[in-house]
Amino acid sequence: MLSSILSGLSIGSVLLLVALGLTVIYGSMGIINMAHGELVMLGAYVTVFSERFLRLPFLLCLPLAFGVTAGLGLLIERVVVRRLYGRLLDTLLATWGIGIILQQVIRLSFGPELQNVSVPGFLTGEYRIGEVSLQAYRLAIFLVALALFAIALLILYRTDFGTQLRAVTQNPQISACNGINVNQIRSYTFALGSGLAGVAGVMVSGFNAVSPTMGTNYVVDSFIVVVVGGVSSLVGTVASSALLGSVNSVVAWMSNDVLAKVVLLGLAIAVIRFFPKGLFTIQSR
Amino acid sequence: MLELEKVDSFYGNSHILHQVSFAIPSGSFTAVVGRNGMGKTMLLKTIMGLTDRVRGSLLLNTHPLTPLPTHCRAKAGLAYVPQGREIISQFTVKENILMGCYARLDGKKKMPELALELFPYLKDNLNRRAGLLSGGQQQQLAIARALAAKPAVLLLDEPTEGIQPNIVEQIEQAITRLNQDFGLTIVLVEQNIAFARRAAQQFIMLNNGAIAAKGSIHELSDELVHRYMAV
Repeated sequence: MLSSILSGLSIGSVLLLVALGLTVIYGSMGIINMAHGELVMLGAYVTVFSERFLRLPFLLCLPLAFGVTAGLGLLIERVVVRRLYGRLLDTLLATWGIGIILQQVIRLSFGPELQNVSVPGFLTGEYRIGEVSLQAYRLAIFLVALALFAIALLILYRTDFGTQLRAVTQNPQISACNGINVNQIRSYTFALGSGLAGVAGVMVSGFNAVSPTMGTNYVVDSFIVVVVGGVSSLVGTVASSALLGSVNSVVAWMSNDVLAKVVLLGLAIAVIRFFPKGLFTIQSR
Repeated sequence: MLELEKVDSFYGNSHILHQVSFAIPSGSFTAVVGRNGMGKTMLLKTIMGLTDRVRGSLLLNTHPLTPLPTHCRAKAGLAYVPQGREIISQFTVKENILMGCYARLDGKKKMPELALELFPYLKDNLNRRAGLLSGGQQQQLAIARALAAKPAVLLLDEPTEGIQPNIVEQIEQAITRLNQDFGLTIVLVEQNIAFARRAAQQFIMLNNGAIAAKGSIHELSDELVHRYMAV
């Protein structure tokens, strides 16, 4: 039981890692970024690239991937998303298209086969707590997820950029009337969300095979996390990834993985049925 | 000096302002009056650059405003207190006021002492969530936020509409003082003719998106009011 809770936390932290960037973009800009999974994939390929050509230490790939995907996010916002504000379905299709392009670019340049990334020695061991074993890498994912969450909170609630972003989220027109450059804030937000996806990709590459289509699996789960948690709440994202991760692993421990997935989806549907705005919403009048 | 010269303004496909021209001298108090739906709010939105398309020329101290996006107009010295306040309800009172500072050219985060003096309730409740304030308090907050930008021109859209009488008086006094004691240029959209006559020096009467009459406030006769504002 204890081990299944630990594994639930570890599944939850992967969910959180991937969902964080999605929450930032969806929650504050109302944009469903269908290319999010591909940005995660790109982050993973930054690790592959660095291992092959740059020989950078694994941990240095985190900031590198952040830079690459954030830059790409900035470009995507400036060139495509900016022209489609207020047109939900169009942004959905456009970002999906961008996702497909990214997949193909990677497939053409790295090949369609699975890639493996080797993680440094200090992340491969196992710790034993009583009779439960805990993989060092799972612990690292957990810590990185928490650190990113803390950084995201800090950016949103303790910086000028964050204050402006929260103002723009609530009322873009009046924010502009108060001297806030709404377009610039939105670009940076999209870049931030994309960068977080890239970091998630690096961490994911350490325990799962890297392939051009890997993003799709992650992005579906993270959408469920974001919707269950409440779209504009970072705390909700954390709570719902922990909840969904634990439910998943407890059910998987009692029966099997397939049933766990079914229960997960059922739970998500039930939550949305009774709390259409998610579990954590900000009340305002 | 805020000058509009033959301004046409559009919102989507509707043509909402027709050939509007006027000049507002620095330090003056102008009341914009007219029935509902005649374009008063749209006039302010046009000045802030919140409509979709504009023809004609808008000048602030001889600098053209037309090419500037809204946030640059705020930095150029225009502050706007919209109808319905539109404060950020999740922010505290203090955060809402400081939000006005993003329009300051020096970028400093300073509370406007003047606004806190005019509205003591805000001073005593700086850490309260703005969404919990009453309508009148939110209106005071919206004015304080506009003042935090140290604007040259203050645009106010029906600041006393739907607000309890004791606060109405406080707000009217504050607006009058801002103009008389501190020389702030004020453009006030107002339905309350009595207040407009007390406070303003000149008026603009809008009818169907065009100027029906304008001039010194003494020329705002009962006959004009009856013709363009009686329902």
